[in-house]
Amino acid sequence: MTDTSKILSLFRSELVVVNVGPKSFADVLEKQGYKSLQVDWKPAAGGDKRMQELLDYLGGY
Amino acid sequence: MTVPEKVAEANKRVIDIMTKARPVWTDVRPAIDAVPGMERNLILIPGPPIEVKELPIPLKTAVCGAACHDGLAKNVDEAWEMVLRGEIKIAPSQDYNCGNAASSVMSASMPVFVVEDKTSGGAGYCVPHPGSNPRVLRWGIYGEDVEENLRFIRGDYAEVLGEAVRKSGGIDLVRILSKTAGMGDENHNRQPAASMALALELVPYLLDVQHPARDRVIKEICANDRFFLHVMMAGVEAVMQKAKEEPYSTVMVGMGGNGVEFGIQVAATGNKWYTTPAPKISGIFLKPTTTEDDLLGYLGDSCVTEVWGLGGMSAIAGPAYLRMTGGTFRDAKERTEKARQVSLGEHNFAPIPWDDYRGFPVGVDIRKVVGLNILPISHGGSALKTGGQAGAGAAELPMEVFKKAVEGVANEVKRMEGEE
Repeated sequence: MTDTSKILSLFRSELVVVNVGPKSFADVLEKQGYKSLQVDWKPAAGGDKRMQELLDYLGGY
Repeated sequence: MTVPEKVAEANKRVIDIMTKARPVWTDVRPAIDAVPGMERNLILIPGPPIEVKELPIPLKTAVCGAACHDGLAKNVDEAWEMVLRGEIKIAPSQDYNCGNAASSVMSASMPVFVVEDKTSGGAGYCVPHPGSNPRVLRWGIYGEDVEENLRFIRGDYAEVLGEAVRKSGGIDLVRILSKTAGMGDENHNRQPAASMALALELVPYLLDVQHPARDRVIKEICANDRFFLHVMMAGVEAVMQKAKEEPYSTVMVGMGGNGVEFGIQVAATGNKWYTTPAPKISGIFLKPTTTEDDLLGYLGDSCVTEVWGLGGMSAIAGPAYLRMTGGTFRDAKERTEKARQVSLGEHNFAPIPWDDYRGFPVGVDIRKVVGLNILPISHGGSALKTGGQAGAGAAELPMEVFKKAVEGVANEVKRMEGEE
């Protein structure tokens, strides 16, 4: 028989949301009483694909 | 070696040049004798290249004033006609290892500070700071009184100062910066401590000069708390000369504005400019009647000091400048932190006591600026469209120049790799 206790304990524990992207997504959850962790991440070169290619060519940053 | 390895090695060499530099002020000589490539009918201007017809009013005034000062034309109208016909040429100062602050220009007969980097062997040049009088060529103003002061600087001032500097055997600018560490200078827009320390080294030699104008020259220098800036600009240009000879390096080695366009230079492509419309300086105005509409875009090469880690890059070293221009201590810290995130090196000669004795960040990597999307902030004085100083403050460097520079350096590297 499959042991479901681990997964059930995860579902029954306090919810903490890891937010990657705009902080406003996490703000909404926090207003409803949930905890969140904001990941400090931005797309390379502000998402500019041409720049990403050139930066890779020059060894990254 | 792969391209990334070549870039990493070239960047290491450039950071070594920048952090191990010992710029030493050795002489004061006429530009025509000191500056390689200088010509009698050439006037060097701040910032990137510009068509003469596009010159903003302050620079046009300064160029024509300098032409009269050098005897190239009888009056400013004749000078402008000669500029339009190409008989008087203009070129970016930084292409000649020179810097021209604000609306300053350099003509053949003007005296220049000669600074040599004793480590790399480079040399750089800058005209003297004219003092606190607001009516100066440096702010795009020309007239009989300005001409009289230019003649004094070319004559007695340069003779006395040159003799004193030669007698001193050279004044080490890193020593000045070390001695004044923790005295509140950020060394671009605020340098009273460095100017005093420089005077302290210079005055004994000035007192040994036998010249009827000696005392006047001593008064001029000791009353000018911005005197150090132009010596330091020549020093930075001395350091950057060799940094510009490092293919594959993505480190910024020059920047400046001509009021219309702002540009940067990168080690891998030497004197090539990457430009965009000049941003305006935000901060304070000297007169309450001035508005942002009165402002010219970024003007001057004094920001070469920033290329070497001074000014906005080490804003936390001079927080009083932030206070004066409407910022806070936290803003100062943030500016330096931004610079640290995009810089590859750190100076060790002037640790900042209230910043855990960290040094000035140095060597902005264009890849980091673009990749991390973090814009360094430069300090600067602002100019009025009609001439004269508007105020002082800071400007975020425009992303566009860094993106163009990444494109330009990648193209140059591909060319060197035979990939194009």
